[in-house]
Amino acid sequence: MRLGRLLLRQWWNRPGRALATAASVAIAVGAVVATWVSADASRAGFRRLNEAVEGVPAIDILARGGGRFDIETLPSLGDLPGVRAAVPLFYRPTLLRVGEKRVREIAVGVDVGSLVDRGLMKLSAGRPCFGEDEVVLDTRLATALKKGLGDEILLFARRKIARMTVVGIAEGRSIAWFTEGAGVVVDIASLADMSRSLGLVDRVRVVLDGDASRTELLARVGDRLPATLMAEVPAGRSSMAEDVLHSANLGLDFVTGLTMAMAWFIVGNAMLMNVTERRRGFSLLRLLGATSRQVRRFVTIEAAILGGIGAVVGAALGLAAAGPISAGISRALQAPAAGLLVHPLVVPMAVITGTLVAVAAAWWPAREAAAVDPLEGLDAAPPPARGVPVRFILLALGLWGFAAAVMGLVLNERLPPRAAVPAGIAMLLAFVATTPAILPPLARALATLIPNRWRIEGKLAVEQILRQPVRTALTTGVLVVAVSNGIGLGHAIRDNVDDVLGWYARMMRADWMLTHAGMVRADGSSDGAEAVAAEEQIRNLDGVRRVEGIGVATGRVAGVACVIVARDLAADSPLPLDPVAATADEVRAALDRGEAVAGTVLARRTGIEPGDEVAVEVFGRSTKVRIAALVVDYTSGGASIHLRRDAARRLFGIQNADILLVSAAEGDAADLRDPLAAIAEQNGMLLRSFGDVQAFIDTIVNGVVGSLWAILGLGFLVGSLGVANTVTMSVLEKKRTLGLLRAIGMTSSQVTRMVVLQSLLLGAAGGLIGLLGGLVTAWFIQMASQPLLGHPIRASFRPGLVAMNLLAALLVTVLAAWIPARRASRLDLLEAVSSE
Amino acid sequence: MSILRAEQLQKTFATGSAARSGVAAVRGIDLEIDAGQFVAITGASGSGKSTLLHMLGGITRPTAGRVLLEGIDLAGLDDDALAVVRRRRIGFVFQRYNLLPELSLVENVALPLVLDGVADLRCRDAAAAALAAVGMEHRASHRPDELSGGEQQRGAIARALVTRPAIVLADEPTGALDSDNSRRVVELLAELVAERGQTVVLVTHDAGVAAGASRTIRISDGLVASDSARSAAVPVPTR
Repeated sequence: MRLGRLLLRQWWNRPGRALATAASVAIAVGAVVATWVSADASRAGFRRLNEAVEGVPAIDILARGGGRFDIETLPSLGDLPGVRAAVPLFYRPTLLRVGEKRVREIAVGVDVGSLVDRGLMKLSAGRPCFGEDEVVLDTRLATALKKGLGDEILLFARRKIARMTVVGIAEGRSIAWFTEGAGVVVDIASLADMSRSLGLVDRVRVVLDGDASRTELLARVGDRLPATLMAEVPAGRSSMAEDVLHSANLGLDFVTGLTMAMAWFIVGNAMLMNVTERRRGFSLLRLLGATSRQVRRFVTIEAAILGGIGAVVGAALGLAAAGPISAGISRALQAPAAGLLVHPLVVPMAVITGTLVAVAAAWWPAREAAAVDPLEGLDAAPPPARGVPVRFILLALGLWGFAAAVMGLVLNERLPPRAAVPAGIAMLLAFVATTPAILPPLARALATLIPNRWRIEGKLAVEQILRQPVRTALTTGVLVVAVSNGIGLGHAIRDNVDDVLGWYARMMRADWMLTHAGMVRADGSSDGAEAVAAEEQIRNLDGVRRVEGIGVATGRVAGVACVIVARDLAADSPLPLDPVAATADEVRAALDRGEAVAGTVLARRTGIEPGDEVAVEVFGRSTKVRIAALVVDYTSGGASIHLRRDAARRLFGIQNADILLVSAAEGDAADLRDPLAAIAEQNGMLLRSFGDVQAFIDTIVNGVVGSLWAILGLGFLVGSLGVANTVTMSVLEKKRTLGLLRAIGMTSSQVTRMVVLQSLLLGAAGGLIGLLGGLVTAWFIQMASQPLLGHPIRASFRPGLVAMNLLAALLVTVLAAWIPARRASRLDLLEAVSSE
Repeated sequence: MSILRAEQLQKTFATGSAARSGVAAVRGIDLEIDAGQFVAITGASGSGKSTLLHMLGGITRPTAGRVLLEGIDLAGLDDDALAVVRRRRIGFVFQRYNLLPELSLVENVALPLVLDGVADLRCRDAAAAALAAVGMEHRASHRPDELSGGEQQRGAIARALVTRPAIVLADEPTGALDSDNSRRVVELLAELVAERGQTVVLVTHDAGVAAGASRTIRISDGLVASDSARSAAVPVPTR
């Protein structure tokens, strides 16, 4: 007989214990797989959403000083990891003649065939265009012009008037990333030639892989460029979605990390219980001559087998759970469900890691089992621990120290914000490590709330909790993590989203919004006559109370790319900016004097301070402007400078508005739809109501928040399963004690109550510690976001969120304890009392 | 020939408020046990007899003094080396049998050999022979919970014998048995001494059980109060 047979016999004899241990690993691995896959699904959904708002992730290469540049001066970039394609773009404001109708449009020159081949452009009909007599139209424009395949249009270029045949219809969303609203796509060489600019391009848009780091690639691309060229993030794009998603991504990283921590607790607890329950058996083995190495090996092999089985089952369960969660997330994000995206390494990694974690988690119990005093171990139960183990206090202090140090480095921008994730996890683990110290007084205090008629059960429940401080801390740790997750991330996300929404509401306060179909200018070539005309037409409409124009241009301050936002400031409307350390009146007065305000992110990146006079480079010309104050801003990620439109016209030559915000007189908003739509169509602009915009924003926000809640919910579910499993194992372990209690006259309902109360006290204690951890977590995430946003997010306390999480913790523990409690109350007395 | 020798053995337990001074369970015992002796250590509860046995068996380390088993100083061995000595040279019998409930009787008996890495077949043969020696071969495949207390204790004695140890140490082996089974167990131990020359040291508070031994050592207050070997030889009982 080998010792392996003893193992098999032990499993056979007590299948519940082995199953519960394997189930713990399965729950833990399943949780990690489900969270991981769901988080990936969320990230993919976020990317699709971001692409829908911003276009594909890209970097622009422009001529330093503005204007077009020779494509031959651009070095090869295709070998840089993360670069999907470098797409030369040529823009030409033009006039189309369709029958008797003349339409101002921007023709975009690209290598259509190449884009279609690479999947960067989709044609709903026809084929790519080649040469001077072929054109591809955007679906929207084709519909508006009532033109289809084979129809002809006239395109007025500098060199000639080209008669062109429509050979393809492009899906609007697939070309928005480079047309930015324009609807005419022509072969780049032909368009440049027609404009007498053969070989020149306006810009090269470097398309990045979805998971590539734009910041990193910006630097690497920049390093390769000659002095005449520069690389920058496409300015003027709405980065609001990206900013919302940044927090969400940080949240996802946090949730994934915490799920892993929770998995450790669950597995660690299971292994600990699995071993301590057999303390007597191990003592006997030691007494009979087993070396400590043999005992350790016995425990380790068992952990590997049960861990392996649990990990395989868990990976399957995790994938099964991830399917509906991912689909739900896709629905919430209104992104097309792309099926379950599972990285091929996820399952093998989960199985291997799950097994290794089980083995690692068994290391300490194995060591304890091997070191058990043979005589003491033969006692039925270990003596209750007294006081707080010093190692826990040291561990907590170490974790706190690590978290504080990393956080300090993140705040000083020595480490990237993502480094805050392990720091945050370490901080939460520190809370768990302090649990053995906090739990005894907390459990006793909570026990005073138990009604008098359940006093005995409550007292016994407290005793059971305090008997095994390490194990209790691990069980409570699962709840602490789940509650901290819910409260911390809930607060952080809601505060972050509220901050972005508040900014958007301030910036875009109007009934209607007209956006210019063309691109944001990096040069002064567009005269903007149509936008000016549209503005005048709108102002003359009946029922219009106010028109505010917003012009956006790219610029540079101290070598950092930024956007210049030129905006009308109506005297009768609140300041649309949120000043930092200045009043709205002071900022308005400064803007009226022709001064500017800078976004906090730009200030952080360039070191600008209020009162500084900085050189702003726009359209190749450098102009000095005084920065009066800093403002919280999300335009282009907060790298922005705001000033009045008249000042922008005078200082930088920014003439027209890219966005027109139209406020209607009271009750006239609906009546303005038709005349505004007519003006928009006439001037190639897009009309959206405030409701449309709000709905769009809500879609993003609700989707992101919903997906995070789904994953947090999963955390709670896993937490409850972990607690249920722990309580089940605890009942199995205490079979003899429970049997004795029943034998001396405890009723079955008293036993049920005792087990449920024990679990409930754990839930309440875990919930309260988790509440503290959650609030610190929220603060942590907000601090970690500060270097990115340049300003602190206003923290709030949300009692509803807290109450919901605490109630969930209590509910989870009661439900988790119910079945084990019933089981405990039905124990066969003789069997229980005689159990080893 | 001396097989086990204790020199000035002391054991002090640090407990609770008495931690500074501790409780002296054994206060300096010198003892020599020859091969083939059947020794009974007696004394009142708390006299230190079990502690003495545990030190003789290398389960508990003495606070002072030393134990020499076949000339090997147990104090000089680390935990694992001590475990190997226990496994190969000492057989233990406990009051509560301490058989693993998961294993059959023969598997329980074979356990020390399994721990020693002995091949399956040899384990089984040796375990069967040990069971035969205690008259339990017919119950070999039964689980402990299918056996009576007396049968379990005879199985535990077989487990103690299976490695052919230098000495068998029995701690209150009849403490959980009725008088009939107690008598049988003592007779069995005496038989082993008589027929196989097995050295046996037994701790008991039962004078009747101690009467079956060839030598009786009475412990009182952590010291040897009397030792029959120093007064008169007692004939080994036969069946």
